[in-house]
Amino acid sequence: MSSPVLQAEHLSKRYGRREALSDCTLSIPPGHVVGLVGPNGAGKTTLLQLAVGLLRPTAGAISVLGGRPASGGPQLAKVGFVAQDAPTYASLSVDDHLRFGAHTNPGWNQQLAADRIAQLGLDLSQKAGKLSGGQRAQLSLTLAIAKSPELLILDEPVASLDPLARREFLQALMGFVADRRASVILSSHLVSDLERVCDFLIVLVASRVRIAGEVENLLATHYRLIGPRRDPADLPPGVDVIEASYTDRQSTLIVRSATPIHDPSFAVELITMEDLVLAYMAQATTSRQPVLETIR
Amino acid sequence: MTWFAWRQFRIPSWITAAALLAVAVLLAITGHNLVDEWNASGAATCHGDCGGALTTFIQRATTGAEGIAYQLTTVLLYAMPALIGIFWGAPMLARELESGTYRLAWNQSITRTRWLGTKLAVGGAASALSAGLLSWAVTSWGHHLDHARYYRILPVMFGARGIVPIGYALFAFALGVTMGMLIRRTVPAMAATLAIYVAAVASMPLWVRAHLAPAVHGTVPLDLSSIDILSIGQNSVMTVRSGVTPSNAWVLTNNTITPSGKIFTGPADPTHCGDGGPRECIQWLSTLGLREQLTYQPASHFWQLQWIETGIFVAAAALLTAFCFWFIRNRLT
Repeated sequence: MSSPVLQAEHLSKRYGRREALSDCTLSIPPGHVVGLVGPNGAGKTTLLQLAVGLLRPTAGAISVLGGRPASGGPQLAKVGFVAQDAPTYASLSVDDHLRFGAHTNPGWNQQLAADRIAQLGLDLSQKAGKLSGGQRAQLSLTLAIAKSPELLILDEPVASLDPLARREFLQALMGFVADRRASVILSSHLVSDLERVCDFLIVLVASRVRIAGEVENLLATHYRLIGPRRDPADLPPGVDVIEASYTDRQSTLIVRSATPIHDPSFAVELITMEDLVLAYMAQATTSRQPVLETIR
Repeated sequence: MTWFAWRQFRIPSWITAAALLAVAVLLAITGHNLVDEWNASGAATCHGDCGGALTTFIQRATTGAEGIAYQLTTVLLYAMPALIGIFWGAPMLARELESGTYRLAWNQSITRTRWLGTKLAVGGAASALSAGLLSWAVTSWGHHLDHARYYRILPVMFGARGIVPIGYALFAFALGVTMGMLIRRTVPAMAATLAIYVAAVASMPLWVRAHLAPAVHGTVPLDLSSIDILSIGQNSVMTVRSGVTPSNAWVLTNNTITPSGKIFTGPADPTHCGDGGPRECIQWLSTLGLREQLTYQPASHFWQLQWIETGIFVAAAALLTAFCFWFIRNRLT
């Protein structure tokens, strides 16, 4: 159990001259629900597709659960994947999809699949093309879960869902995690989706990993400092400024520091996950301000 | 995976089965008449000179419903591989790539190589079976007519008889799959498949087939009883060609040569080939000792040519298939 769920070393993916992911070095320990967050086009889908073997790296190496992604049946069986927009066969029924899963996965759990479909109230004879976006996402999740994976990877699973479907989907996901003790990696451009479910966070901006770590540790080592205006270079060593904003008289700094900050001239506050993500996104794109979606 | 490949293929295969059944009904009805006409014309029981009986049979058999069925099935045998390539081959990967469902399929516990292999096996088997059934049905339905006319060695009939349609169908299917994989869009892939299929099949009689087996060369005295071409051009240059050729052969070249072996070009003798009309001119020609030099593929080469041409198309299909496997493993990433 000690081998990492995902390990990437200097992983890069280039399309022609465009760098979709550059020099990503990352190690995700097992047993986490990992949130991969970043603006649209940051390289989240590229990273996840590299992890399931839909893409091959241009440079560097990636291993998932100790194996090369999609290197064979056993490796594929260990990883469940729900692709972006939850693709399904529009002309095939819900039942056909379940039978497809049963025929192509040795670890298929028919009981689980049937129970979930019943719980969702889906009609087995309904064509997948006639399902709502939320139902389609749930069907895809059912397929991915019923193959009994050790790792579940979901690419923007709730992006196209309305708030109710979003909540139901995340609840279903958390139910699976609680039952199976499997690891999960899910991506989103919305921090609010991840805040409630993730205990490990990766911030990916402009094709680079900005920070990765357990949420608890991240929140314990990042602070917001508010005080009279001053030059951030004056701060003690070991304190890195992630983001700084100023008014005429006041500085607001988001900093990272391994040790607690005792500076009487600052009011020191702990920050939320959303503040942290936004700070890293802002830092990564100082030259051009990205259009960020925040909480609805 | 085999179950799923069939499941995705269910509706197309039902449509095809229904179409084949309709053709079978047409052939059964008209085939009955064909046998009656074969017996009534006396061709079934004649010995020795059967020319008259066969002519009677052909006249009756190529008019009415049987004649229409004869032409329709010929067209159908060329069209079917094209339809297979367009409606089975081209969408097979293009639709998955277009709609993104390949991301679902490739994340079940089977490798994409096995996924492709199963799809190709199911589609390829169905293609070969459908084309084979249709060709077998039409070939056996029309065998009296084919025998009476010896048309099946001729360019148009050749591709609509025997085993060649199976080769065409396998090729068209593999071509469709390949185009769909490369173009990644169903409709353009269909168009590309059709264009390449037509070019490949048309190129066979135009440039390739004549060289697949050594042609027969023959030189016979020029038979002037039936003249195909007789023309006199500028400077009395003459062209004459007999229409009498081996009845059961695909004639590749037909030249009229002089006793010394050169191609006859005249000059026309103005005293015979002038105002006196063609009869006098032909009379004069018959005194020159002209001969007819032919190269042709006789009917006896039919099966040899069938096997070679089928082999070419099956090999092309195999190459395309190998390319698909390589591409899906190494390039679609």
